[in-house]
Amino acid sequence: MDIQFVFIQLFNGLALGSFYILLSLGLTIIFGMLGVVNFAHGALYMLGAYCGYTLVQVYSGNFWIAVILSPLIVALIGIVMESTLLRKLYDLPHFYNLLLTFGLMIFIEELIQIIYSPMGKPFNTPKELLGSIDLGFMLFPKYRLFILGITLFLAIGIWLFMGKTKLGAIIRAGTDDSEMVDALGIDISKIFTLVFGMGAGLAGLAGVLAAPLQNIFPYMGMGILTETFVVVIIGGMGSIFGSILGGIIVGELITMGVIFWPPMANTLIYIFMAAVLLLRPRGFFGRVKFFE
Amino acid sequence: MGKLRMPSLIKNRWCLVWLIPLFIFLPFLTPHHSLASEMLIFAIFAMGYDILFGYTGLLSFGHAIFFGAGAYSSGLILIKLQAPLLVGLLGGIFVSLVIALVVGFLSIRVKGIYFVMVTLAFCQMFYFIALKWSGLTGGDNGLHGVPRPSIGPIHLDSEIRLYYLVLMLFVLCLFLALRIVRSPFGRALQSLKSNEDRAKSIGFNTNHFKLISFLISAFFGALAGGLYALHLNFVPLETLNIMTSGDVVIMSIIGGIGTLYGPIFGAMLLVYLKNLLSAWTEQWNFIMGILFVTSVLTLRRGILVEVKQRLFHKR
Amino acid sequence: MRGKIIIIGMICFLFLLRAPYALAKDPVKVGVISVLSGPLAVVGKGEPDAIKMLIEGYGPLLGEKVELVIKDHAYSPGLAVERAKELYEKDKVDVIIGCPNSAAALGVSDQAAKNKKLFISTDAGTCDLIARNPYTIKWNYNDYMLATTVGLWGAEHLGKRWYTITSDYAWGHDLLKYFTAALKKKGGEHVGNDMVAVGTADYSPYILKAAKANPDVLVLLNVGKDAVNSTKAAVEYGLKKKAKIVHALLFEVDIKGAGIDIFEGDYTAASWNWVAPIPGVRKFADQFYERYGDRPIFMAAGGYSAALQYLEAVKKAGTKEQVPVIKALLNHTFKDIFADPGFVRAEDHLQLAKSYLLKVKKASDVKEKEDYFEIIGSVAAEEANPPVGFFGRKIGGF
Repeated sequence: MDIQFVFIQLFNGLALGSFYILLSLGLTIIFGMLGVVNFAHGALYMLGAYCGYTLVQVYSGNFWIAVILSPLIVALIGIVMESTLLRKLYDLPHFYNLLLTFGLMIFIEELIQIIYSPMGKPFNTPKELLGSIDLGFMLFPKYRLFILGITLFLAIGIWLFMGKTKLGAIIRAGTDDSEMVDALGIDISKIFTLVFGMGAGLAGLAGVLAAPLQNIFPYMGMGILTETFVVVIIGGMGSIFGSILGGIIVGELITMGVIFWPPMANTLIYIFMAAVLLLRPRGFFGRVKFFE
Repeated sequence: MGKLRMPSLIKNRWCLVWLIPLFIFLPFLTPHHSLASEMLIFAIFAMGYDILFGYTGLLSFGHAIFFGAGAYSSGLILIKLQAPLLVGLLGGIFVSLVIALVVGFLSIRVKGIYFVMVTLAFCQMFYFIALKWSGLTGGDNGLHGVPRPSIGPIHLDSEIRLYYLVLMLFVLCLFLALRIVRSPFGRALQSLKSNEDRAKSIGFNTNHFKLISFLISAFFGALAGGLYALHLNFVPLETLNIMTSGDVVIMSIIGGIGTLYGPIFGAMLLVYLKNLLSAWTEQWNFIMGILFVTSVLTLRRGILVEVKQRLFHKR
Repeated sequence: MRGKIIIIGMICFLFLLRAPYALAKDPVKVGVISVLSGPLAVVGKGEPDAIKMLIEGYGPLLGEKVELVIKDHAYSPGLAVERAKELYEKDKVDVIIGCPNSAAALGVSDQAAKNKKLFISTDAGTCDLIARNPYTIKWNYNDYMLATTVGLWGAEHLGKRWYTITSDYAWGHDLLKYFTAALKKKGGEHVGNDMVAVGTADYSPYILKAAKANPDVLVLLNVGKDAVNSTKAAVEYGLKKKAKIVHALLFEVDIKGAGIDIFEGDYTAASWNWVAPIPGVRKFADQFYERYGDRPIFMAAGGYSAALQYLEAVKKAGTKEQVPVIKALLNHTFKDIFADPGFVRAEDHLQLAKSYLLKVKKASDVKEKEDYFEIIGSVAAEEANPPVGFFGRKIGGF
C-alpha cells in the first residue's frame, strides 16, 4: 500500500465528503432554525441536478450558468414549499412536518419521474474542468478539485455570515429562541422562510455539482439522504461545524473503507454512528437543547 | 397536545352487524383471495405500531426491522427446523423481541427527532446486514421455500384457509391491543405522550415504559412478518427496507393515529388501493404520495376519525 | 306457491343454458409479469408490448382467440409473488412469461410449482432457475451464459490481464464465479476484484485501485446506474484510455441516459440484439419500432419467442393441458426472430441459443435511432451455457 495511493483516496474521501457537507449544512440549519427534519432534502438535491440538466440540455446553457442558477431555482422551490405548506403545521409537534416532508419527497420524485421519464439523463463535465491536474505527487481530476474549492468557499462563507453579519446573528438567535426574537419585533416567519430557502439552495447546489459524476435519475436523492442523516447525527444537529466535521468523517470512512475493509465499506458509517450514539448521543457538536 | 383519547368499542354497536360479515367474507370481496390476507397482515403490523406512535408518541422510522426479522426468523425456523407453524411464528417473535430490546434501548436514549433518525439508520443497517449475510437470508434473492405446515389435520395450502388463520390471529391481536391501551399501562403511555416531564415527576420511569411500548409494537410487527412469510412462501429483502418502515407510518397517519382502528383501516385501505391502482395506472406511487401529503396537511386526525366526526356528530 | 316453482325452474333452466357456453369459452390465456412502474419501467415495457404484438397477430388457437393478461410487479419480489398468485388463481392463466428480477422470478417459479402451471422465465438471470422444478423453463439468457460468453471470447480477443468490479449481491457474485472459471479456461489472468455495493454513486476509489493493477481489460459486472457510474469514473480517471472495458449487461437506455460517448468502444455480451444476423429480425424490429417508437431489446425478443413457442406447443399438443404442452416444448428445436436455432433441453428445462458479443459504436457511426451496437462475435450455445447437471439439480417427472 503505497503513500501515493492512500493520498489519492484521502483526497477522494474529501471530495465525497464535500457533498455530504453541503447537504448536511442545509439539513442542519433547517433543523436548527425550524425544528423540521427535512426528509425532502434528497429530493431537493435531485431537483438541483435536474435543473442543471434542463438548463444545459434543453436551453443550451453552459455549465457555469447551471451551477449558479440551479441552486437559486431550488432555493425558490424551497421557499414556496415552506411558505405554503410547512408553515401550516408549525403549531403542531415537529414530527408532523417531518412526515409532510417525507410525503413531499415521494411527491417530488414521482412528479419528476412523470415529467422527465424514469430513465437516466446525461450530464457531462464541462470542458474547462476535464482532465487532471498533476500535483507532483499525484494526479487529481480537476472537477473534484473544483468541488472541494466550492465547498470550502461556501463553508467559510456561511461561517462568516452566521458569525459576522446582523442577519446571521438574528438567525442564530432565532435558533436558540425564536419566540424571543419574535417578541423583539423581528418578523421571524420571514427568517424561517429564508433559512429554508438557504438549506434548499445548498441541496440544489450539491445536486448540480454531482450531476456530471453520476447518472441523473429521479430517485438519486434517496440513498444519499440516509447517509446525510448519519452525518448530522455524528456531527450534531444544528451545528454548522458539526456538519463540516461529520461530512469529512463520513466521506473518509466510506472511501477508506473501500481500501481497508471492502465488504463493509457501506456498513462502516452505521457502526460509527452506533458508537457515537452509545458514547455521546448528541454527536460531536450537537447542542443539548436539540435533544428535544 | 390533544386530550387523552381512549378508544371505546365502536360507539354504535350496529357497526358490528356489517363489520363482522365483512371480515368473514373478505377474501370473496377482494379481487383475489390472497389480497385479504395481506390486508390483515399489515393491519396487525399497523395496530402494534400505533401503540408506539399513536399512544406513546414515538415516531419510529425503523419498524421494518421487526417485520423483516419476524419474517426471516419464522421462515428460517420453518425451513431449517421443519418446525410446526405456531413454533415458527413464536420463534420469529422471540428473535424480533431480542433485537427490539437492543435497538429500543439504544434508540430511547435519544429523544424527539433524533429518535426518528436513529431508528431510520438502524433500519438501513439491518437491511445491509441481511443483504450481506446471504448465506442466511439469501441476500437480495430473498428466502425461498417457506413451507406452510399444517396445524394438526388442517392443511393451509389454500389461500382461503390461510386467511382464516390470519383472521383469527388478527382478532386475538385486536383484543390484546385493546386490553393494553385501556389498561393503566396504556393510560400511562398516553400521559407520557402528552407531557413526559410531568409523567416523570409523578414517578413514572418513562424510559421503561417507552421500552416496553417499543417491545409490544415489535411483537405485533414480528407476528405480521411471520404471517407474511407464510403468505408468500418466501421472504423478500424489501421487508427490511426503509420504504416498508415508511409504509406503516403512512398507513397509520392516513388511518388516524392513536385510535387503533385508524391504522387498521389505513393499512387495509392502502394495501387494497395499491393493488387496485397498480392495475390501472403506472403512476400509483404518485397518487399515494398526494394522498399522504393531503392526509398530513388536512386530515390530521386521519380518515377514520374525520369520517366518524362528520357522520356521527353532525346531527 | 306454483309461481315460485316456475320461477325457480326457469332460473335453473337458464343456468343450464349458460353452462355449455361457459364450458366452450376457455381460451388459452397468457400471463405476463414485468416491471411497468418505477425507475426500471423503461426496460420492462418492451416485453409485454412485444407479446401483445405477437398475440394480436397470431390468430385463433384451439378455436378461440388467445387472451393476454399483463401485470406490473414494480420490480418488487413480494409484489411479483402476489401477481403470480392472482394470475394463476384468479385470472386462471395457462402460462406466465417474463418477470425481471431474480428474486421475483424465483418466487414466481415456486408459485408455478405450487399451482402446477407453467412459468417461462425470460428476464431474470439467476441460474437457480435452471432445473428448478418441472413447471419452470428458463428462456433467453442466464448469468452463466453472460459471464462465460464474456470470459471465453474476451480472453481470446481482448487481452490477458483482467480486473473485475462486481456488484455486491447475488447476481454479481454469480457472474464473478462463472466469469473467473471461463477466464481460467482460456488462460487469462485475474489480477484483482472489488465488490461494490449496489447504488454506489462514487466509483472513484475502485477505479483507482483497478488502475493501479494495470489490467488489459476492466470488466464491470454490474448493470444500470452502477454501470453508468463506474464507466463515468473510468473515463474521468483516464482508465478507459489504458484498458478495454467490458460490461456484463448493458442496456440501450443506459447508453441513451449517459450519452454514447461514455460507452464508446465498450464490449458487452447479449443473448440477442436487433441487429443480430437472424432472418426476420429486421422486419420484427421495424414492426416493433413502427408500433412503439423504440427498438426492441433482448428482453422483448426473448418474451416474444417464449410466447410464440408456447403457442406453437399448444397447437402441436392439441390441448392446453399443462403436461402435454410442457412435453411438447422440451427437446424442441425452433427458429424464430430470437434464436436461429434455439433448443429447449429436457434435462434441465433450459433454452439454449448462440450468444453474441457486442461493441458500442462511436457516436459518428450511429446511423439510425437506437443503433448503438455492432455485433463482433459470437459463442456457440453449448459452450456459453452450463452443461447438463452443472448445478447438481435434477428435475423430477410430473
